[in-house]
Amino acid sequence: MISRRNFLTAAGVAAGAPIINPRFFIDSAYAQSGKPIIFLSAENITGNWDPTAHTTLSQKNIEGYVMGFLTRFPMRADDPDAMTYELAESLELLDGSRLQIKLKPGITFHDGEPFGAKDVKATFEYGAQPDRPAQWYPGPTDSFEVTTPDDLTVIVDTSKGGYSASLFIFLAGYLPMMSAKDIAGGPNGPLSQRLNGTGPFRFVEQRRNDTILEAFPDYFMGAPKVSGVTFSFVGDATTRVLSMLNGQASIIERLEPEQAETVSQSPNIKLHSLVSVENKYLWFRCSKPPFDNPLLRKAACHAIDRELINEILGEAGHPSSNFISPIKFGYISLENYPEYDPDECQRLLAEAGYPGGQGLPPLEYITSVGFYPKTQEYGEIITAMLQEQGFPVTLNVMEVAAWNEALYDRPGGGPGHMIDCGWSTGSPEPDLVLRTHFHSSSKRITGIVDPEIDASLDRQRSAPTLDERRRLLQEETTPMLADKVPAYSLFTSVMIHAIQADLEGLFIYPDGSIDASVADFV
Amino acid sequence: MFIVGFLARRLAQGAVIVFLVSFLIFTLLRVIPGDPVRLMAGGMAPDELIEQIAADMGLRDPIPVQFARYMGGVMRGDLGQSFVRPASGAAVGGAQFDDATRAERARVLSLIAETAPMTVQLALLSMVFALLIATPIGVAGGLYPGRWPDKLALYLGSLFVSLPNFWLGIVLVLLLSVNLRLLPAIGYQGFAWTILPAIVLAIEIAPFLIRTLTVSVAQIMRENFIAAATVRGLGRGRIVVAHALKNAAVPLLNLLGVQFSMLLGGVLVIEFIFDYPGLGLLTINAVLQRDFPLIQGIAIVTSAAFVLINIAVDLAATAIDPRLDY
Repeated sequence: MISRRNFLTAAGVAAGAPIINPRFFIDSAYAQSGKPIIFLSAENITGNWDPTAHTTLSQKNIEGYVMGFLTRFPMRADDPDAMTYELAESLELLDGSRLQIKLKPGITFHDGEPFGAKDVKATFEYGAQPDRPAQWYPGPTDSFEVTTPDDLTVIVDTSKGGYSASLFIFLAGYLPMMSAKDIAGGPNGPLSQRLNGTGPFRFVEQRRNDTILEAFPDYFMGAPKVSGVTFSFVGDATTRVLSMLNGQASIIERLEPEQAETVSQSPNIKLHSLVSVENKYLWFRCSKPPFDNPLLRKAACHAIDRELINEILGEAGHPSSNFISPIKFGYISLENYPEYDPDECQRLLAEAGYPGGQGLPPLEYITSVGFYPKTQEYGEIITAMLQEQGFPVTLNVMEVAAWNEALYDRPGGGPGHMIDCGWSTGSPEPDLVLRTHFHSSSKRITGIVDPEIDASLDRQRSAPTLDERRRLLQEETTPMLADKVPAYSLFTSVMIHAIQADLEGLFIYPDGSIDASVADFV
Repeated sequence: MFIVGFLARRLAQGAVIVFLVSFLIFTLLRVIPGDPVRLMAGGMAPDELIEQIAADMGLRDPIPVQFARYMGGVMRGDLGQSFVRPASGAAVGGAQFDDATRAERARVLSLIAETAPMTVQLALLSMVFALLIATPIGVAGGLYPGRWPDKLALYLGSLFVSLPNFWLGIVLVLLLSVNLRLLPAIGYQGFAWTILPAIVLAIEIAPFLIRTLTVSVAQIMRENFIAAATVRGLGRGRIVVAHALKNAAVPLLNLLGVQFSMLLGGVLVIEFIFDYPGLGLLTINAVLQRDFPLIQGIAIVTSAAFVLINIAVDLAATAIDPRLDY
């Protein structure tokens, strides 16, 4: 029976229903027009925007959207040395120790300051200061001199350091150009607060785990077509894949082969795979026992069957036998690179005073999970192979943030005895790996101090020509590293990105950074 | 007068509970492995620097001294600063120890104030969904004990309680978000992003509500006053809605209070899977990063919320059934 109360209630509901906007409850997450690129990153950032303050890849990738570079190196396998000009108009070696850089006119930073020679000089000098954590090379600030004959000309003179100015050619594609005004504010000034570059996207804000970038309309190569880029840290790989599948994410990185297979079944998603500039290493803590003994390090390398690791990695790995990626300058497949050889492993163990592994202390092998593909899987295989030869190893699998904090060397040696990590630098310059890790002035993870390696690294750096440098790298420096193995390069990463099929015009560099200046949703 | 005495007594009891929880968490955090100073200073920091920073921050003082200092701050409304998160609230890592330029650290209270409303929204919506699922099933089960609605309630309850929430979350995302494109799922850009995780949580808590409703409705329907209502000429609908359900609401209300409190502190997995920026995700990252002040702050806030919600529930129950005496 309809009572007066029931009738009024029903009438009220009927009258109110149309007023409620259903979009409040179910909003369109899939609108196409004017939407920004949503990039889901597997790695967090550092909380300091100064490009010289970190070596964190995800933050380097953000810098790739915001910052400008003198040149860029596409670094494709068929032409690894190819170079395109960005902020620079030309690079010319005046002689062995002087490089002249001519800049393009009319370029401005996102804060409105004009870009010019003073900014290049300030960037080179600031970035090479020994106290900057990123520690750019070829040498510290007092080893070169930068002069600026006019607003658009820079001359780098390396005669003080005794190395070739040609090293700055490769670095030109790696160093993000900062504003001299920002640098003058010091390390605690605006540099650490936000990014200010000349790139296609402008830094807006950090909103929790989202880095918000918007298109810079005055970008000197033309305003980007997409409205911006949202760069988000999403720690869980499954969450990233689901987000890709439901169309919320535009790009996700570092897919594992199984995930790549899953997303490839969607007609809305395309895959992009590229032999990267990153090698994955088993880094030995060389500054403390027992891996301060090169015989033991080499024995460990001979215990590891890299073919098995490559089988586990599938499409995510590319076999290589050197400390640098095949697309880096000076790569050669080294003849003396340690291969799987249990007999040689046992011989070296005995020679080192640990026959069959007897007398070795408990060893800790640290790896991460959630960022690099298959680290835990191949970490377990490596652990088993080392144990088989008598190394008392335990695997410690860490979440990315904790692993990041355990990564680096420190006085007395870093945590554990071995740690897994990749090293990726967006330039063909091999010293960004070799010198960074194996020269006693840097030794970021290994902590190695070896005068012979130092001398060889210095020699190749100071080679008068690129041909001579290549020869030294291939015939002396990297073979010496293969003999002393402060780290064991396991393979070269293949970076697999999943991209929404309607997003076109992206260019992905082999270090994972992306040029989205002409990208658009079509 | 009853209210004043009740509130004074329960708030005093609550303060003791919050104090004990704080002390327990505070102590546990300091005895588990993992040095927060190492995380703050960076991997390359030498041990001497670590000890110096720890000493400067008072982290090497006896635990009771540290706790007294901390509670002094809490009494002034200061839950301290995050060890690792910058003011933007981003999860960070990877910087070096000798870098003096790391951004200023976020206030714990700000981080919680930013994320708690998100979790409250998620918890409230999941309670609404859970009630929508549980009420018809549970009431029908209670009205027809031993018959098919009762069995349906039992089977559905068993089914829901057996579904792992992380599995259900992924399946629902694949179904509702990936295939049908009905709802967004990952992150948060608006209210719609709350719906899917709320559905998963609702399915997780619905079995408890179904069971409580089934049992209490069945019990009340056997009471004399229900039989008397029929004799008084009231219709069955009115008896069920106005009499049986009202009386069955008291145990349900208690359960809802407990479940809501549990949701505030325990939506870790769901928030992680859905990348939902609430207290759960904040807690997971805080634990992984050994962010002691943040973990402590979250523990205090959630235990205080637990206490307050229970007081509110008891008050509401007294309003429904004046015979109850707390």
